[in-house]
Amino acid sequence: MRLLLLGNEAIAYGALSGGVAVATAYPGTPSTEIIETLEEFKDRFVHWATNEKVALELAYGAALAGARALTAMKHVGLNVAADPLHSAAYTGVVGGLLVVSADDPWMYSSQNEQDTRWYGLQSYIPVLEPGDPAEAYKMAKTAFELSERLRHPVLMRSVTRVSHVRAPVELEPPAPPRWGRFTRDTKRFTLVPANARERKKELVEKWEKIIDVAGEYMTAEGSGDVVIVTSGVAYNYVKEAVKRLKIEAVVVKLGMSVPVPRKITELAKSVVVVEEGDPVVELQLRSMGVATKGKLEGFFPKYGELDVGKVAAGLAKALDIPYAPPQPVKAPLEPAPRPPALCPGCPHMGTFYILRVATSGLNPVWSGDIGCYSLGINMGQQDLITHMGSSVGLGSGIAVAGGQFVVATVGDSTFYHAVLPQLIDVVTRQIPILIVVMDNAYTAMTGGQPSPSKAVPVEKITEALGLPTFVIDPVDIKKSIDVVKRAVEVVKTGKPAVVVSRRPCTLIATRKARRAGLQLPKYRVDPDKCTGCGLCYNLLKCSAISKRPDKKAYVDPALCVGCGMCAEVCPFGAFVVEGRREQWLELWRQA
Amino acid sequence: MATSIVIVGVGGQGVLTLARWIGEAALAEGYDVRIAEVHGLSQRGGSVEVHVRFGKEVYAPIVEEGGADFVVALEALEAVRAYRYLRPGAVLLVNKRVIQPPGRWYDLKELIEAIKRSWPRSYVVPCYDAALELGSALYENSVMLGFLSQLLGLPMPSSLDERNQAAFRKGMQLFQEAAAADQ
Ligand SMILES: Cc1ncc(C[n+]2csc(CCOP(=O)(O)OP(=O)(O)O)c2C)c(N)n1
Ligand code: SF4
Repeated sequence: MRLLLLGNEAIAYGALSGGVAVATAYPGTPSTEIIETLEEFKDRFVHWATNEKVALELAYGAALAGARALTAMKHVGLNVAADPLHSAAYTGVVGGLLVVSADDPWMYSSQNEQDTRWYGLQSYIPVLEPGDPAEAYKMAKTAFELSERLRHPVLMRSVTRVSHVRAPVELEPPAPPRWGRFTRDTKRFTLVPANARERKKELVEKWEKIIDVAGEYMTAEGSGDVVIVTSGVAYNYVKEAVKRLKIEAVVVKLGMSVPVPRKITELAKSVVVVEEGDPVVELQLRSMGVATKGKLEGFFPKYGELDVGKVAAGLAKALDIPYAPPQPVKAPLEPAPRPPALCPGCPHMGTFYILRVATSGLNPVWSGDIGCYSLGINMGQQDLITHMGSSVGLGSGIAVAGGQFVVATVGDSTFYHAVLPQLIDVVTRQIPILIVVMDNAYTAMTGGQPSPSKAVPVEKITEALGLPTFVIDPVDIKKSIDVVKRAVEVVKTGKPAVVVSRRPCTLIATRKARRAGLQLPKYRVDPDKCTGCGLCYNLLKCSAISKRPDKKAYVDPALCVGCGMCAEVCPFGAFVVEGRREQWLELWRQA
Repeated sequence: MATSIVIVGVGGQGVLTLARWIGEAALAEGYDVRIAEVHGLSQRGGSVEVHVRFGKEVYAPIVEEGGADFVVALEALEAVRAYRYLRPGAVLLVNKRVIQPPGRWYDLKELIEAIKRSWPRSYVVPCYDAALELGSALYENSVMLGFLSQLLGLPMPSSLDERNQAAFRKGMQLFQEAAAADQ
């Protein structure tokens, strides 16, 4: 069967054809669709874990028991899972363990550009690097066998332009899941120093073997004096750039880019290296005594993602041949930016407005976090966003450093992922911080995966910890402002407090309403009442509302979802509703 | 040689679906296909950009600046933003619709005039108006698909439902009218 598949779907189907039994992940762009695809297969254990460490532990444990297991995450998720990852190299595995980590060069949806392949070197785990969906399918399918043959975990490094590229893939049917039962092997699985030392010796020996195994994944095509070494998605740009420049070259593709195979040194003493991300292959080649022209001396850019033009320009420079790059056309005007914004009617929009009013005069530090609410940056209400858990983690540090009033805004999924342990510290040291959990019941930023918030309500946890907790509905703006003011008073006395702002993600709720055949109410502006004060488009910042040339508000009827927050904030009663709201608000609350 | 298309619009306009339809039609014709999609943060209402490449043999999944044969814009301001992808002689297709960006107000007529003046090889397609006539703005991408299919020589993808098929045919008809007006 030949289908147009996303790279992530291809990885999922590859794992199925490879007999995966246990598949876990925490969502993260660009890796999310791997588990989303597997979720349909009820004969396997497929699970959205609370974070990447938990996800890897489940898969690693299953593999120790002999099952075939996969875990998937975005590149920064591997940082969270790094502790068990390193141990997995020491103990090795019994069943095949495939750890997929998807990098995001040029950070389309990420806070950094880290290159997963470093983890391969650091943890002594080989890294497969597919270049397109078809190859990702094959590599995922055979990775379990490889892992079992080496008795070692295997990493797969994907990138946005593999995971989120759709291309034809030839599919084979799924293989039955391979389950396992744990057999004791204490010397191997208990990494107390005496055992760990033995394991380290073994690991170093194993690595030597893996350096040869990497040769099985190396291919060379073409002929000529020039040798170009490439891996992963970069191979595709090399193929087209070589053609464009009309050069004769041997193109060496490393399917396993960590470790670089020993046999490459037989091919050439001097090569051009083209790789996506950091110079991981290039540095390995240099350590093997091969002279390279790659990223280190700037033949290719050290940041961002490659394309055919950048690779052609780099090759031309490295080989000293002329190349005239295409000249971009000048646009007739510089269009105003259209930065990502909260969806119209997003509950986060209400929460930010409520918080702004309830803390007015306090000039709080807005300690932010990663999730849709990071878009509160558009309202000036995210002063820092660094990693999952930065809200409460860094916010607590700021609060103890100098006594400023800190508002930490965090989504529900991030709350369970990273904030739970931080809460304990907040309680034990009574750190004065206002923690606002924006509970939209989903992991919205990554496309609406489930979050534990319904099964394990936030207030049950915070109340059990003795934290004063206030629950609000963000569309109920006026009422909620008064409630949040009470929470603010608690923090002013030098104690922590929690606000849970609860209403499901609007994007998901409107989808459900559409399926239920419910007609959404719509708001429009009465131009006689609107004074052009701008509260709705400047402070609430609903993306369905724009400012007319006469400063009056305009609601785009195609975008309005009838949340009614504009009517709550307008002091002049200028918003007029058409249609009924009660049924919609109730369906939304349950979404 | 692969055909390189950059499709742009605003989140929620069906840019991704349009790209997949083109890919599906190209695959059905026996071509190799790459579609570089966007997911995650980039879907939150901002500018959306998807690349489609098809041909006998395709490697690179993305289109470089100055490398597009076609730029297809479901929104006029996004069309202007995507100028950097146009290669000399490229065709620009623009839906006759503006979605106002935060804090600014653009006049649709002036935008369209500026585009026509600066890139003569452009078609202004009233996908939005046609879609509204068909019952919903949701069909503007399938109207555009019908128009574009005539330029690409690709068939109607088989996955279109009845109403999208009607929109597709409307797009084809708009192309024929535009071609007739050109002569
Ligand atoms: C370690 C790590 N894993 C995953 C991600 C990807 N990611 C970004 S935001 C987010 C969670 C969003 O959920 P939530 O906190 O509930 O906020 P929402 O988007 O629903 O508002 C995830 C999983 C990440 N940035 N870092
Ligand atoms: S996806 Fe949901 S949570 Fe995210 S901005 Fe849209 S409505 Fe808000």
